[in-house]
Amino acid sequence: MDVEIIDEAELHQTRYTGKKPTYYPIDDAHPFDLDGLVSSYSGRSLVDRLVPVISSCPTLTGQALQLALQEILQMRDPNLYRAVLAAYEQAATASKGQLPPSSDVAPTDQKWIDETNQKNQADRTKLEVELKTYTSNMIKESIRMAHRDLGDFFRSIGDHANSLKHHTKSREFCTTSQHVLDMCLSVLELLVEHRNYPHIATYVFKAEAALDATASAARMSANAAAPTAPPAAAAANKEKMAADREKVQSKLDVALALSHLGQTQYEKAATAFIKVGSIKSLGEWIGKMIAPADIAVYATLCALATFTRPAIRAQVLDNDGFGAYIEQEPYVRELLEAYMGNRFKDVLALLDKYSTRHSLDIHLASHMSILTNLIRSRALVLYFQPFASIKLERMSVAFGWSIEELEQHVVNLIQGGEIQARVDRQNKILKAKETDQRAVLFSRAIKSGEQMQAANRKLLLRMRLYVTIPNPPRQQADLVVKAPKGQHQQQHLGIMSMPPMTGDFYMDMGIGY
Amino acid sequence: MNPSGSQSQSGPSGSSLQSSTIQISIDDLLNQIVSSDNPRALVQILRKDAKDSLLVRTLADGQDPLSLLDVERHTLGFLYILTARLQSNDHVARAFDFVQPFCDRFDPFQARLAPERVTQLGKEIVRATKENPKAALGPLYKLVTRYPPSLSHLTTLHPLFLTTCVATRHYTAALPLLLVPITLIDMGISNLHYNDNLIYHYAGGVALAALKRWREAEEFFEICASSPAQIPAAIQMEASKKLVLVQLILYGKTVPPPKYTNPVLQRTLKNSPYGAFIKAYPLKRSILQAITAKETEIFSNEKNLGLVHQAIERAPRWLIKKLTSTYLTLGLADIAKEVGIDSEDELRAILISMIESDEIGASISADGTVTFFDPVPQVSKEAVDEMLKQAQVQGKMLLDMERSLNANKDYLTKAIKHKDEAGWGPDEDMFGGGGPSGWVEDFA
Repeated sequence: MDVEIIDEAELHQTRYTGKKPTYYPIDDAHPFDLDGLVSSYSGRSLVDRLVPVISSCPTLTGQALQLALQEILQMRDPNLYRAVLAAYEQAATASKGQLPPSSDVAPTDQKWIDETNQKNQADRTKLEVELKTYTSNMIKESIRMAHRDLGDFFRSIGDHANSLKHHTKSREFCTTSQHVLDMCLSVLELLVEHRNYPHIATYVFKAEAALDATASAARMSANAAAPTAPPAAAAANKEKMAADREKVQSKLDVALALSHLGQTQYEKAATAFIKVGSIKSLGEWIGKMIAPADIAVYATLCALATFTRPAIRAQVLDNDGFGAYIEQEPYVRELLEAYMGNRFKDVLALLDKYSTRHSLDIHLASHMSILTNLIRSRALVLYFQPFASIKLERMSVAFGWSIEELEQHVVNLIQGGEIQARVDRQNKILKAKETDQRAVLFSRAIKSGEQMQAANRKLLLRMRLYVTIPNPPRQQADLVVKAPKGQHQQQHLGIMSMPPMTGDFYMDMGIGY
Repeated sequence: MNPSGSQSQSGPSGSSLQSSTIQISIDDLLNQIVSSDNPRALVQILRKDAKDSLLVRTLADGQDPLSLLDVERHTLGFLYILTARLQSNDHVARAFDFVQPFCDRFDPFQARLAPERVTQLGKEIVRATKENPKAALGPLYKLVTRYPPSLSHLTTLHPLFLTTCVATRHYTAALPLLLVPITLIDMGISNLHYNDNLIYHYAGGVALAALKRWREAEEFFEICASSPAQIPAAIQMEASKKLVLVQLILYGKTVPPPKYTNPVLQRTLKNSPYGAFIKAYPLKRSILQAITAKETEIFSNEKNLGLVHQAIERAPRWLIKKLTSTYLTLGLADIAKEVGIDSEDELRAILISMIESDEIGASISADGTVTFFDPVPQVSKEAVDEMLKQAQVQGKMLLDMERSLNANKDYLTKAIKHKDEAGWGPDEDMFGGGGPSGWVEDFA
């Protein structure tokens, strides 16, 4: 058993510290709100989010470490403890003496580790004995609960694989769709925690099916009870059901949105984030899984990168439900308004200002460069749209770039087909392309006519290679290439090795040129 | 190469039957040939009685039978005697003088009654001229142009003639044939084998590519590569390779093959050095050259090095063309940097030749600034009329074909059998009178 734990520890370390150490500046121009992070997250989520701060923000490392340790000592995951210390150690080594070594700041609390390990081992044995007893007694519901408890236990000590195993196993012993739903939500929490994006969607769909089943079951029982119950109670009951349902649905939406984001499907992610219900409906997931401010940031960045301007207005700005999330993170509104007001320089400046915040976010970090590029390209396209021609100089002022930089961006967009224009390199002017639609139409018609004729011709020949058309057919033509009889067995997957014509026939086209 | 008509040649005259009949002499046979006025009956007699050993003899009085026959009137007899002589090693010498006159003047209607002999004649001509293949060109050309009912028919003679043209590098000689696309197959006039089709189109592609008629060459290679195949033949693989190279030269990129092409070909091609070359095209020449340098041996073994070099030679043109869609003006130095050509003179020469051939619209000013503009395609009324006329011809041809298909016995049997299933049976509007493509009539 010990061996396994050590393996896990290594795994944790590589996950947290294996990344190349990039440093993000934190100063007035690039604010980062560590207190805000602490107040919006708790438990494992907080520690997970503090680890990147420890390893890539030298100025905050010490503070973040203390916060993380505070949190960890409340938990029961010695591996996480070691991983955090290792992350600090690495940051300390990389800082070349600017940071005191971890043994000075936070000496390893071996006693705590031993105690926790002991306690974990005891709990584990207890739960496994319970499971065994229930299994031999074949009490379905108890078996399910035992699996669930084991799953929760493994999750609390950071053993994702075992946790997932027990949670999924409990599926076999579920008797009601409510149980299935509970199982799915547990698994989803686990997957999100583990950032296992590709698998999230499966469980979201399973959970949705279970949710529908639960709802219809509840409605049936309510109807059965209805004749006896007073109408007011029935209405209250119904309301409660709807609220319950919304709670679950919001969680599923968040999980699905994260999964889209994790798999670089930004447009879907934006739509899904915007759909998430009220903050209240997320219940215990707030802080444990995700903060409302992060939802606002994720949704906005994805929307800016993929939505058209009217869609942004309709779905993001004029969306009252989503407005509540935007309020959680004031700069998001600034960003949106700058974009809608064509103040692209401000947009880019804001993106740059908060780049540290974005890059330290565990879900967003790996997508920031792509998202920033997408937003920048969209901004360029939008900016140029109304012009027939514009001086590159003026454009570069609007975006706050040098002319060369701008030209590079513009050229990339033109080659990608996103801007219909051309660059006058000598005079530094960007000119929209004028197309003579009439001429284009003519040439296209003629071209497709020629293509059609060629295709006809080839198809006719092809048809005749199968059968002869003249009526009555004198003899069936069958000019389909077939494998010679002898070769049929060995060669039927490849290309016939027999070259019907070789040697003298292949002439070297090289001679004479 | 497989003799395509070999089965039917040894065909109808059973040898056991022959031995039981009375031995007839060449004199009798000549009499029959001269006196016969029904070619169909004559061909039966010739198939049955005329053994090659008999046909090569001289007449009793020592005269040469061929000198007594008129090519035009006695085409069949002439053909039989001529092929018999060409075939036997002892008598070839007496035959070759008659080949050219025969090919010039034979009667195609009579000849079509003995297709296997015509095929044989073609093959024998090629065999007899092994030492000096050029001598075969003249007779073969006459044969291949005069024998089929139209140039759209494929015959066994086509691949023979084409391979001879390619082997002797007389590409232009094949042009009259190559410019008429093959659309008709008639097994009654020529006993074809699938190789005949593949080889004709492959060799045609080679000839056209050598003449730098890339567009036509592309079509020929495509036909060869995409011909129906349960298992693709090696020649189809070769055609696919040449096809993509020709496309790179012609369009600067490859065009996806027709859907009906055997997928094995594409897969194999992708994993070959050709796949890597296509992927890199059109990059700067230095990069392309580095890629090909590694695989030179394969390219040259497969005789494609020439095409590869031509493609590389044209790479800067495609790069320049790309620039025209991005820039309005560029300095020569800028272009040189983008395209990877060091010498400004060479670049200027390329630009000028591109402008001359209408590939790009551009002008170069004295200070080395290149200004691009879109060449506006001008379409004249005549061109439109011409296109419309072609479309009408096509429409009519398709309509006729559909009608003849609808009258086909096999089709009708099947259609009746499956008439209850959806998607079968003749379309209602086929019989709507006046033809379904109303717009053809509108413009006519």
